[in-house]
Amino acid sequence: MAGEESGLETESGMVAWRLIEPATNSTEPDVDPRLLKAIKSAVRSSDVETRAAVRCLMDLMKKPHSQVRYLSLLIIDELFMRSKLFRTIFVETFDQFLALSVGFRKNMPLPPPSTIASNLRKKSIEFLEKWHSNFGIHYRQLRLGFEYLKNVLKYQFPNNLENAARLQRERRERELKTQEILLGKFENLKENFSSIKGEINSTIDEINECLDIINVNQKELNPPIDFSLGDDEMEGFSSLEMRQIRIDSMKEAETVHETVDNEAVFDTLRELHKLLVLKHLVSVQEWISVLIRVELADNRFRDTALKEMIDLRNNIQSAKDKLVAIGCSFDKGKKVQLEEEEDIWEEGKIENIPQKSVQRKGKTVVSSSTSSNGISDSHNKTQNSKLDPERSKLLAEAPLVNWGPLLDNWGSNSDTVANQRGLEIEGHWGRVDHDRIIPQEKIAELSVHRMVYKEDPVEIKPCLAPLKNGTLCQRRDLKVCPFHGPIIPRNSKGNPIENCNEPMVNRSEDYVDGETLEKLAKQAVNNVRKRERDEREIKRAKLARVTEHNQEVLRESAMASTSYSEDLVQSRGEFKTKKPTLASMLKKKVTAKDRIAKKLL
Amino acid sequence: MWKWKALKEREDGSLRPSAFRRGVVSSRAASLQLSNAKEFISLHRGAINSLEGDAAEGRYLLSAASDGTVAVFDTDTRHGHGHGHGHGHPLFHLSRAHKFAVSRALWYPVDTGLFITASFDHYVKLWDTNSTQVVLDYKLPAKVYGIAMSSIATSHTLIATATADVQVRLCDLASGAFSHTLSGHRDGVMSVEWSSSTEFVLITGGCDGAIRFWDIRRPGTFLLLDQSLSQLGTRPPLLPSPSNNESTSLPTSSKSSSSTPILPAQKRTSHKKIQLKPPTQWSHPGMASSQNRATAHYGAVNGLRATADGFYLLSSGSDSRLRLWDIESGRNTLVNYEAMSIQASKPIQLAVTPDSSLVFVPCMASLKAYDLWSGTTINSYRGHYESVNCCFFNAQDQELYTGSNDRQILVWAPSIPAATQIEEADSEGGITSIDQDNWSD
Repeated sequence: MAGEESGLETESGMVAWRLIEPATNSTEPDVDPRLLKAIKSAVRSSDVETRAAVRCLMDLMKKPHSQVRYLSLLIIDELFMRSKLFRTIFVETFDQFLALSVGFRKNMPLPPPSTIASNLRKKSIEFLEKWHSNFGIHYRQLRLGFEYLKNVLKYQFPNNLENAARLQRERRERELKTQEILLGKFENLKENFSSIKGEINSTIDEINECLDIINVNQKELNPPIDFSLGDDEMEGFSSLEMRQIRIDSMKEAETVHETVDNEAVFDTLRELHKLLVLKHLVSVQEWISVLIRVELADNRFRDTALKEMIDLRNNIQSAKDKLVAIGCSFDKGKKVQLEEEEDIWEEGKIENIPQKSVQRKGKTVVSSSTSSNGISDSHNKTQNSKLDPERSKLLAEAPLVNWGPLLDNWGSNSDTVANQRGLEIEGHWGRVDHDRIIPQEKIAELSVHRMVYKEDPVEIKPCLAPLKNGTLCQRRDLKVCPFHGPIIPRNSKGNPIENCNEPMVNRSEDYVDGETLEKLAKQAVNNVRKRERDEREIKRAKLARVTEHNQEVLRESAMASTSYSEDLVQSRGEFKTKKPTLASMLKKKVTAKDRIAKKLL
Repeated sequence: MWKWKALKEREDGSLRPSAFRRGVVSSRAASLQLSNAKEFISLHRGAINSLEGDAAEGRYLLSAASDGTVAVFDTDTRHGHGHGHGHGHPLFHLSRAHKFAVSRALWYPVDTGLFITASFDHYVKLWDTNSTQVVLDYKLPAKVYGIAMSSIATSHTLIATATADVQVRLCDLASGAFSHTLSGHRDGVMSVEWSSSTEFVLITGGCDGAIRFWDIRRPGTFLLLDQSLSQLGTRPPLLPSPSNNESTSLPTSSKSSSSTPILPAQKRTSHKKIQLKPPTQWSHPGMASSQNRATAHYGAVNGLRATADGFYLLSSGSDSRLRLWDIESGRNTLVNYEAMSIQASKPIQLAVTPDSSLVFVPCMASLKAYDLWSGTTINSYRGHYESVNCCFFNAQDQELYTGSNDRQILVWAPSIPAATQIEEADSEGGITSIDQDNWSD
């Protein structure tokens, strides 16, 4: 009976052996799914098979090839997660398994190839963690192995479960926090909504009134030319460009220019424009973004407010366009920047995108035309300043500040939101705190004004002492010429001018005669040359040593890494086997270094 | 199912209760395996060097680690903690008991009110268990490898110390001073053990490979074990009263030499207690130099353990041998313990079951159980990830505790559960239900 059983065992155990052996004898990174399925069903079929599978897998884990171990590990994981009997038998030799799969023992490192070995280690640590979290309480050995690797050897476990949970939690917390802040802002808006709206509307009204005043004046001065008629006349003979120029000039004529009469109006307009763009537009956009992002139970107020806000923004835009059209801009650099911001802004999802984009196109045309206006405008200003003596005096006194980013926040004393530009950039590499605020002091600190010191060019006078060949010394030194002493004013022939007689006397005392001077100079030159030569020699010797060493190392490595027998095997293997085998993975690849070394031999 | 048969026999009276008990105990002891339910949560951050259960109650386990910490565990998880996975937290954990590694910790043999620790920082400290304060300390001249107190002593309270110094010092708890200095070893002393039959006999094993016997009432060594002197066969572990008194004078003159082959089954009839009558002239203090150089192991003797009856001594050496010595004759019994490898650098702690049937020996990362009399391997316990340093056999529950360099204390419990545990297992079926087959295809 017993003999029969054992015979049966060996016979049926063979199924697992027969399946597992070929399954691990492959160079693929995964086990053949069909084989795996067959193994699973075989192991499931009987306890004997399970025992045989454990034995077989442990044997395979001992093979000195990481690929075999890796594939065995994958099969082990499949069976470990499924069969209780497999687990029970398998954990008995768990320390051995860990030594073979993680390779934590110094005297038992993982076998080559090294890339797969590192994969094997990573995977087995991952599996260990998984097994521990699933079955740890039932198997002391699992716990022991896990704790040993974690606490004693300080292995880094991927900690998948916990990491995911932590990320989730963090994200939720962040969202909650932003929502809270948004809600706060929203409440604030709710309270102040009417006042904000009123303020903006009043500004726009004022602008419109101002524009009315200007336009009325304009119409009184020169009534509009009849365009259509002119156009018809032209159509016949003029080219398209000519026509364009003509229209432009007509428009130019139509536009209102600032004069002494309406200067006050323009000033007001400029002020209002500034207020509109810098304050209202920005705040409106901010409110819109708040409204879009806030999550509320009751959306009624939000929807109406959003609609009104968008209307307000459109109003502001149109008012701004009008202002720009009459060439009233408060700051050119500022304006360009703002426009850029708007471009980004408009890519957000707001209902009236098509309409906006059309507007934008129109605007760019306008802005290009206004840029020329701006110049003329500034020209006007300079003219104006001539009229105002006090202003020009102040201007002359005022320090010149270079244009730079510090001007963006000139005179503002409010905190700046760091990460809230109304656009969501997904490409951040870290966590983004949407409500980070840069305090005003910090900004002041960041935008501390600095300038590069520019030295006034100093004219260095030539020495002008007479030389042997009759010319004058053209050396330019600050105080003392090394050949002719202190630099003193001289006449056209090189003689010192009278009032400098005394120092000349001193000089003749200092530099006794030409001969000693020449000697000294020669000596100095010799000294310098000699030092240079020495240095060069030392350097050359060092270089020689280094090259010698390098050659020696190369030769040695060449001796060690290539041998003719291996070369032979490789060359034979190349035309014989096309399919990669396990043995071929262990073979060393010929690197460029080896080839060079061989040549050197 | 021998159990039911034995039960029946016990009821009939054909099996004596003590024999029945022995049977149960030995079968349990032979079937140890890693316990899943019971564990000690070790807070030690270094290798566990010593494990010792108390003799009074057999309940508290004292552990000492090389990070200078000492902890006490309650091995009885039935009280106070409820069922299920034993809580296993230490009752107390002294994080700064010593400056350097604690090499050995011992309970005071009489009760659990005191314990003694020895450390590589040259100190031996006596602690009050309840206040966890040092009561006494002794400064020794070198690293202390081991200490021992006699569990049967009634007339003295001496702690024998094994240090890296060649001399063995005895610390007297009564006076708080050193009472004896025993010289004889040529190198440091790794292990020390009191005789379990006579309170005045001390056994020490040194790095020079010598095992010396000392009578603390007299100067000098009175017996030096020599591995080349051997006898075949051993006496039966439990013996009838000694029949005749033979002179114990000289091990060399003993007639039971290895020349006459004696079958292992054929027991020697001459038995005697260690007789502490005045030794002959030459044996001490200046033993003949040839005798004085005998060695018991090639290499350091790093573990000593006397059997509970006091007749035999087990010694382990860095030559990876375990030897069984007949104390009375001072001869090697030539029991061949199967292949083992014993770590050489540290003292190890052996454990013997009280009925002297099994010996547990730390063999690198595993622990092996041998039959004491035949030397065959009964079992090999794998579970630790680094070298095992010490083991302690809890005779009361037939559990084995092992401590290792991987900082873990493992519990090896009998796989044959007690009756109460079966019921418990049934009641906690809810937890075990997860551990089932899970075939998706």
